[in-house]
Amino acid sequence: MLPVAVIADEDLAARAAAGDADAFEALVSRHEARVYRLAYRLTGSDADARDVLQDAFLAAYRGLASFRGAARFSTWLHRITTNAALMHRRARQRRPAESLEEFLPRFDADGQHAPEVAELRAASRADDLLDEKLLAAEARAALARLPDLYREVFVLRDLEELDTSEVASLLHLDAATVRQRVHRARLMLRGYLSHLVGART
Amino acid sequence: MPDLTCRDGVEMLMDYLEGTLRPPEREAIEAHVTGCPRCVAFIESYRRTPSILRAATAEALPADLARSLRRFLAARRASGDA
Repeated sequence: MLPVAVIADEDLAARAAAGDADAFEALVSRHEARVYRLAYRLTGSDADARDVLQDAFLAAYRGLASFRGAARFSTWLHRITTNAALMHRRARQRRPAESLEEFLPRFDADGQHAPEVAELRAASRADDLLDEKLLAAEARAALARLPDLYREVFVLRDLEELDTSEVASLLHLDAATVRQRVHRARLMLRGYLSHLVGART
Repeated sequence: MPDLTCRDGVEMLMDYLEGTLRPPEREAIEAHVTGCPRCVAFIESYRRTPSILRAATAEALPADLARSLRRFLAARRASGDA
């Protein structure tokens, strides 16, 4: 018999759909770390990511019959996880996200960067100037503060490194909207991180 | 193209970094940036932002979670709920 380790995801999914529990277990083993990481990035907390991980694999198990191998299994599972994370966030009573808008770049009347030279210089080296642990903690806090609208596209496109067209299809947006939101998310996060550096130098 | 402002450059920055701007726009940005240290610093920090966030959120699967996920899935299957 062919060892499970060499069987393609899509074939394992077909076996699992036919009731092979070992095949489903193999899919869980292969993908659980990636699903958890995506869930963590989308929800911003370990507790929420745990719930989403369970929801996503349960939904995948229930949906196996509808997975026909038209997409890659990993793409299909990404979509299920993203949907589970978004539903989870929407269902939860959360504090309203504090805006990061104040960290968007500022310009003077002539369209030149407002004079924050020390801050901007330092900002280019945020990863050199801040202690690694502190930077990571602040970066996670900043991501959690990003409004859902921006976090979703930023996570999928810049952190999971999906193509713009894949993100657009996952979130039912057009490509121009995805790009616009990714750009704005980067601007807010950049500003937030550089503000930290500026405050310490 | 007429002289760019920093604001114009920031608006086009994503396209610029991905190399999708038309040559006149790309050249206008490069001409501006050459004389603008603030933009140089800005672009550098903008470019680094995704990788800083990526590294900060590359969470590993917690050790206990693999086992609890399997318990959860087995229980749902056993209850006929899955």
